[in-house]
Amino acid sequence: MAAGQRLFVRRRDGRIQVRLNDAGRSIAREAFGHVVAAERDPEHEWGATLTAPVDPTRDEDDPVTTLRRQQETSTNAELAVATLHEPYLTDEEAWAWLCTLQVALRATAVSRGLLSDEKLADAGDDVLGEVRTLQQFLFDLAECF
Amino acid sequence: MGGTSTEQVVRTEGDVTTQRTWNVVVWNDPVTPMTVVVVIFKRIFGYPDGRATQLMLAVHHEGRAIVWSGQRDRAEYYCVKLQVAGLQSSIEQDR
Repeated sequence: MAAGQRLFVRRRDGRIQVRLNDAGRSIAREAFGHVVAAERDPEHEWGATLTAPVDPTRDEDDPVTTLRRQQETSTNAELAVATLHEPYLTDEEAWAWLCTLQVALRATAVSRGLLSDEKLADAGDDVLGEVRTLQQFLFDLAECF
Repeated sequence: MGGTSTEQVVRTEGDVTTQRTWNVVVWNDPVTPMTVVVVIFKRIFGYPDGRATQLMLAVHHEGRAIVWSGQRDRAEYYCVKLQVAGLQSSIEQDR
């Protein structure tokens, strides 16, 4: 990525500059791709995170709610994929990046059983590196809003 | 924002019935950066920075927080928005 500088910067004209290098964009592409795949494949390991019911007293949401969540998540992920190589993002594009990266971060944590601070502290270096990288992307992107 | 009253009174031609308020709850998790939660609250609910930060800290310290209260359909709408933004959220009826 780009060591020593923020990965996303809000410019005076309102656009958000993406300062990720090829390795950083590759990580983003993988995260976005997983979200797109998870929305299309009900058996995907991230499925449980993406389909948690709005009302936990019911086993599943009504079809309208399910469809709305699925459509909005997919729209964000597909917009993020489509703008992956852009040097600058509009506000809406940056919001799609933020939502999709956050979905990817939490789905990664849930699928690896990282549901508490203790579990996170005990996680292996590979998983922890993955989590920390996504957190850094999100931290810098959130600073732009 | 709702939350100060647990019941909304609905009056229709002399009848008085009550509808319980629904709460939107956000749950803590060990990986989501605090600043991201604040940004999401500001963007989805339009909360000012102080209110969004206060709610984020409540989620962080108490494990969960009610971030909005009102009618069920609106609560579902906000809950889906939060889920699409990657936060763990649900709705519950006020007791």
